[in-house]
Amino acid sequence: MKRRVVITGIGVIAPNGADTETFWRACLSGTTSVASIPDHWREYAEFASTLWAPLPSVDFPRFRISRIELMQQDRTALMAAAAAEQALAMAGLVLQLRDEKKNTYTLPSFDAARCGAAMGTGVGGIVSFSRNQDNHIQTPLIPFVNQEGRRLLRHPPRFHPFAVPMTMPNSAAASLGIRYGLTGPNTTFCNACAAGLVAIGHAYAAVARGSLDLALCGGTEFLDEGYGGIFRAFDIARTLVRDCADPAAANRPFDKRRSGFLFAQGGCAVLLIEEREAALRCGRVPLAEIKAYAESFDAYSVMALEPGGAAASRMILEACRDASVAPHEIDYINAHATGTIQNDDVESSIIEKIFGNRPLVNATKSLTGHAIAASGAIEAAVAALSIRDQTTHACKNLDDPVRPLNFVREPAAFPIRNALTHSFAFGGHNAALIMSNVS
Amino acid sequence: MARARREGGTRHIFPKELDMTISSIEERVVKTVADILKVAPDRVVSAARLREDLGADSLDMVSLMMDLEREFEGSISDEAAAKVATVGDIVALISSLAAQKTAVSPAS
Repeated sequence: MKRRVVITGIGVIAPNGADTETFWRACLSGTTSVASIPDHWREYAEFASTLWAPLPSVDFPRFRISRIELMQQDRTALMAAAAAEQALAMAGLVLQLRDEKKNTYTLPSFDAARCGAAMGTGVGGIVSFSRNQDNHIQTPLIPFVNQEGRRLLRHPPRFHPFAVPMTMPNSAAASLGIRYGLTGPNTTFCNACAAGLVAIGHAYAAVARGSLDLALCGGTEFLDEGYGGIFRAFDIARTLVRDCADPAAANRPFDKRRSGFLFAQGGCAVLLIEEREAALRCGRVPLAEIKAYAESFDAYSVMALEPGGAAASRMILEACRDASVAPHEIDYINAHATGTIQNDDVESSIIEKIFGNRPLVNATKSLTGHAIAASGAIEAAVAALSIRDQTTHACKNLDDPVRPLNFVREPAAFPIRNALTHSFAFGGHNAALIMSNVS
Repeated sequence: MARARREGGTRHIFPKELDMTISSIEERVVKTVADILKVAPDRVVSAARLREDLGADSLDMVSLMMDLEREFEGSISDEAAAKVATVGDIVALISSLAAQKTAVSPAS
């Protein structure tokens, strides 16, 4: 017997907003974050793409994150904690301080063993690893390097005593569990660009089947190791936006003149999800109800979508069936829409075949760039906010669409009863989530 | 005295601080210890043992050394950190490292 699951809080850190409402307002006003990549990166390599979406600075103390935590955790875990704080605050949950020294809390009125955390990340604490590796390799090298060479070597002064927990991909989820005393299952998913949505989907399934009553779930990613090396990896694979002549117009998912995705410095979104009846009894106002989650796997290529979209289509139809929502009842689709030639072509074809041009379609990555695992969760957040506010953001830079779908051209009041969000990842992992208006 | 710059890889122990008198070091150590261990500052006396009296566990000791490095903008070696047992030991350690740095040396 499936229980009903609602979203009661959302936290977001994205290139165009360091908290949920700032982010959402930015989306609705078409505000993006685009900049030239840092000059010093070009001292290390030549790049075909020269644009990225940097993150804003995050006021971590505002989210009760201590100085010590800032020194001892990877950015992915810190962002997850900040986003979780936002989500809990939005839900109106009052936390009780458990240990002042460790900066941990409890959720009163919840059985901790029935509360869990699930996070998705593409590469976890890769930046912490990279910075420590810099120190490791460069320290014995320095005496042999001249002044000019030393300028190019940039490492932290100390090999971090917490290098291991900072690097491990499970650190964000673990940090949430520790912070709030959640002793239910604590899991991390690494399905690349789908990981954030996969984490939300699995957390939803756990609450629906009765294993958990509450979960903090989402995705987190931080991709700036200081030299542009991670950027280079995506660049050399020819995935990044190439036509950078006009930075403001370069990132254009679904447009015929698209040329790749805009690399985001990182990002994070955390959703607070709960069993519906308990949330309502406690007077919490759900933003949206999650109706179904489905996954599939292309079994085709590590870096390309299967052109026929068979597995992705099957997954979307399965999600609709599980949600008891027919395709013609989906009012809004938040697409994966990275802006690569291939993705947007295949994806728009899938959408057209299943839904025709009835539902609204938009591409959050046209505003945020691609934050890998964080994007799936950020886009789930957008779907929920769209349902809450019965409006959604436009597709930025969409002048000449690849297919005649019902793309959002400007925000307006839209009747959104049911929304679909899906992600397709390197490796061939597909994930889809359907959520509905709370009635 | 010119403040020494941190360059990639060059290990300066502490920059030349204008105000590294014992009393100012002590004040800043007390503040840091009280903040990290979440104890009242009036318990952070010279003879107080970090572990037995102020409740520091091994993770707290790591955090403390890292925060002291941040506070005094320098590096504390693992060997030096291992010898620290009391608040007074911390003050002595930082004072001696600061003194080494302010010793007469060729003008830079």
